Amino acid sequence: MNGRLSRTFSRNPFVFSLILFLVLVVINRALQDNMFELGPLNGNLRVFIPAIFLAVGQTFVIIAGGVDLSVGAMVSMTSAILATQIPQEATADVFLRALLLAFGAGALAGTLNGFGVTVLRLQPIVTTYATSFIFAGIALAILPEPGGRLPRDITSFWRNPLQVTTEIGIPIGLIVITLLVLFWIIIANTRYKQFLFATGGKAEAAYTTGIRVNRVKFTTYLFSALFATLAGMAIVFGTGTGNPRAGEQMTLLSVVAVVIGGTRLSGGQGNIIGSIIGALILGIIGNVLSFANLDSWVRPLIDALIIIIALAIPGLISLGRRMWKP
Amino acid sequence: MKDITLVVENAVKTYGGVTALADGNLAVRSGEVTALLGANGSGKSTLSKILTGVVSPNSGRVLIDGAPVFFRSPVEARRMGISAVYQELSLIPDLTVAENIWLGHEPLRAGFMNHGEMKARTQSLLDLFSGMLKPNLTPDALITSLSPDERQIVEILKALSYDPRLIILDEATASLDSQQVNRLFELIGDWKTGGMAIVFVSHRMEEIFRIADKASVLRNGRTVGERTISETNERELVDLMIEGANALLRERAAVVPVDAPIRLDVQELRTAVLRGVSLQVRDGELLGLGGLQGQGQSDLLMALFGAIRYSGQIVLSGMPRQFKHPKQAMRSDVALVPGDRGTEGLLAIRSILENLILPSWDRYGVPLKMQKARADGTQIAAELKMVMASLHAPVSSLSGGNAQKVVIGKWLLRSPKLLLLNDPTKGIDVGAKAEFYHLLTQLRDAGTAILFYSSDDDELLGLCDRVLVLHDGEVSAELTGNTLMRENLVAASMGAAS
Amino acid sequence: MSASTIPTSTNGRLSAVRRLPPPLAALLLAIALFLIGGILAPGFANSTQAINIIRLAAFLGIIAAGQTLVIISGGEGIDLSAGAVVTLGAILTYRVTDGSDAMILPALLFVLMVGAGIGLVNGVGISLLKMPPLVMTLGMAGVVTGLIYFVTRGELIGDTPPAMGRLLSQALIGPVPGVIVLWLIFGVGMWLLLERTTFGKHLFAIGINRTAARLSGVRVTRTVTLTYVLSGALAAFGGFVLLGFTQTVFLNLGQPFLFPSIAAVVVGGTVLAGGKGSYWGTMAGALVLQVIDSLLGALQVEEAYQLMILGGILLLLLTMYGRQRSVRQ
Repeated sequence: MNGRLSRTFSRNPFVFSLILFLVLVVINRALQDNMFELGPLNGNLRVFIPAIFLAVGQTFVIIAGGVDLSVGAMVSMTSAILATQIPQEATADVFLRALLLAFGAGALAGTLNGFGVTVLRLQPIVTTYATSFIFAGIALAILPEPGGRLPRDITSFWRNPLQVTTEIGIPIGLIVITLLVLFWIIIANTRYKQFLFATGGKAEAAYTTGIRVNRVKFTTYLFSALFATLAGMAIVFGTGTGNPRAGEQMTLLSVVAVVIGGTRLSGGQGNIIGSIIGALILGIIGNVLSFANLDSWVRPLIDALIIIIALAIPGLISLGRRMWKP
Repeated sequence: MKDITLVVENAVKTYGGVTALADGNLAVRSGEVTALLGANGSGKSTLSKILTGVVSPNSGRVLIDGAPVFFRSPVEARRMGISAVYQELSLIPDLTVAENIWLGHEPLRAGFMNHGEMKARTQSLLDLFSGMLKPNLTPDALITSLSPDERQIVEILKALSYDPRLIILDEATASLDSQQVNRLFELIGDWKTGGMAIVFVSHRMEEIFRIADKASVLRNGRTVGERTISETNERELVDLMIEGANALLRERAAVVPVDAPIRLDVQELRTAVLRGVSLQVRDGELLGLGGLQGQGQSDLLMALFGAIRYSGQIVLSGMPRQFKHPKQAMRSDVALVPGDRGTEGLLAIRSILENLILPSWDRYGVPLKMQKARADGTQIAAELKMVMASLHAPVSSLSGGNAQKVVIGKWLLRSPKLLLLNDPTKGIDVGAKAEFYHLLTQLRDAGTAILFYSSDDDELLGLCDRVLVLHDGEVSAELTGNTLMRENLVAASMGAAS
Repeated sequence: MSASTIPTSTNGRLSAVRRLPPPLAALLLAIALFLIGGILAPGFANSTQAINIIRLAAFLGIIAAGQTLVIISGGEGIDLSAGAVVTLGAILTYRVTDGSDAMILPALLFVLMVGAGIGLVNGVGISLLKMPPLVMTLGMAGVVTGLIYFVTRGELIGDTPPAMGRLLSQALIGPVPGVIVLWLIFGVGMWLLLERTTFGKHLFAIGINRTAARLSGVRVTRTVTLTYVLSGALAAFGGFVLLGFTQTVFLNLGQPFLFPSIAAVVVGGTVLAGGKGSYWGTMAGALVLQVIDSLLGALQVEEAYQLMILGGILLLLLTMYGRQRSVRQ
């Protein structure tokens, strides 16, 4: 590959996933005529939002060299809290109080993870795996069975596109994505982003340069918890009800989205935009597969195979590179 | 730039029981280049680390402009205006040149990184080397895309970006080509005029005489002299580096029969560091490898053992071989005692027995005959006179000398025909060393071909009949018989004419 | 001339306790918890309950055998596909034997091969494609579960051979169920594997220091791959054996054993970083976890709090056993 092309790929590893995304959009459009109409588009994006939030949060942790396997459980916990704290006739201040409670719980969860990894110096994988059980337990304790009913105002606000005029509406999902992209652009222009890359890339070198490596890692777990809470909110607002097992399958997907998006699991590089695209890719694959009318006994296998292949691609590429070099 | 004087007085640094620096002294002044010289084990790198705050001395003082200072970390040293350039160890691979140079002190505008300013400043730093760089070295280039010389230059610029009053260049020219070195020296001249103080640590005599004003020599952990470059010569400095060095009584090699079969024949071996090395070792010969650390000796031995990639021809026992894994080398009766006992040679928490038999378990059947293993272990421990609580004690409980006996014992159990040793007596006390030398000569006399790298020149002089000195990845001298003398050894290590 | 021997000094009693081998410490912990359980839940600490606990622990212990191997192998080794492979092993046995005692042996061989095959995929992904074990085995867990759905289409046909229930679940020697006897034999087998085979020696070596292992001739890639192959086969064996107890299969059969299998390994003193541990420890760890699980059941603690307690216990154990080096060195 000539120099400039390979530099584009290496500096922006999500270019590959962007291309894949566009290809999938084309396929989806072929299968679904009305895909770009406001209604279906809004619905699609809304369903993708929770995974996007999780992928964004997970990206921070992975760039800094760790991983957070408790995000799914945090989603469940948020769902349980909101379902029990927001009665159907809730007023605005009750609603806000519930949101604050959810954020507070998320902050505590993130603090536990961060504390374990940075202060106790425990291994991130097994630690967040262990805390995921704690959070899942809390979710079940608060809300043993799916239930709760959210006020109509909230669900209809979340489910319908934002009407700028009577004619023009913007899908809520698009607004969220735009905000997240802006968020990343802001972060990427601060020293914090450099600290993230340095911490994940070469922690000892970062430390010698005066970077507070532990502090940086701690913040990534807080970010992860924040976005997991947001993901939980998105699910609850969308379904209008709570589920203490809402996040069970979502943890793995968050990691896959990050990997598809071009961020290396070993850390040191990456960006949110790739992870957003990765989450979108997973969502669109889900759409395309449902149009393929696969029966429900084949779907899980296909989904899992896609995930494994997606995870294997970076390894296959570097294996190919290793065998290519004389 | 404000003038600076930095003085190190009687610095002492010990690690556990080992004294790395016994009496380090240095005086550095604005507008001067002070070279720091010393053979392996002289304390040179320890003194350099004290200067930059990586390590704090156990006793002694560091004075800046007459006032004592204590550095608790490199960051504090940098705040006092001291910046260091090492060999590209501190760059973050997935960040750009600009991002690396300004990491931690990025120019800001309203809290955000000022990319324009960063790029401009980086470019003006890069311009200092204009004409010497390939076009790919731009502020936005990723470190992973840079070659070693480019990374070294980025390291230099990174140190400069802190606007230091004192800069330490520790083997900073190792990866640079001659043109880049020339430019660096021009820059050093400018820095001197600007009032910067420079400490230049190097193993290249030629460069020291080109750029330095003063030279400070360390030997055996002590500063033994300071000379003004214009009033001295290479021979005098070399003598300072070696004068009065301990000369242990050693066993001289017997004459190697010239018709002994050639066990190992290497042609044009190349690795990342080696630039074409050829040699031959016969049965019953103890061939030494000399030179300062990092000149390719490790690479040579690792390549011969199949542990790293290489290009070139290796002919072993008359058969051409291509080892892709140590196990293959082992099957051809080659053994390697690796350079770093702790990280490469031993499994610290495992028992002595486990370590001794690790390469050889497939010879003990299924299920493993532990009694036979214990018997073999006891026998080799007795032969090597190992001092240990029992075969089941963890290897971490042994002294350095005894631990090294385990490393060599595990190979001797396999009766190797070619024994490779990578600086095996580092960190071993005098008594254990003597036993070790005796062992090596016994093996040699029994017909084993031995290739032996040592950073201790006395060892090479006393044990070997022939020594190949490596410098910058090539054989700079072959010393034997009359030419196998200390002065020639040290001179060849420094790339100086003997 | 013999090697000289330095006499070791004997320290005080406190250090002797600290120097208790972890499996023994875990065993004592299990016994202590059992007795405490007798106080918290009167009627808990009797011999029937003890046998029941050991029986349940045997299943967990067998399932945790593979986990023990991959954790010892180091390199952040873990097998998150074990739960799914257990389910698969049970379902395949159920279907292949279809209630026939004669088919037990063929079913066992078949199941072991399938498990080994899944482990091989894990091993190749981890050692050749350099995928982190966490990600690889988690992904494979999904694939295996998907396979189960695909092959069975939700219909779990088959039957349990009566011999399995008789031999494993019911009392075999006196009041002791067969599975406990099997577990003991299995324990000896695992000990032989870890301590009396070249593979075992190499396994510990790569767990401690892959560089030193390689420089001593150990084929690291092969050893890692083989470890995951064994882990898969052992998990499938665990499913096979589990069928003798549950007498039926369902789609989520193995999943509840996954987390406890990891916890059992850690409790038993096997170090998460690799290179140190034993299967005896895992056995003791399985006992500890089963005592806790049965006690929580006897106290009628809800699932929610059981999960929290499990997670909390693992965190506690990690804090005691599993801390890493700080950046400052």
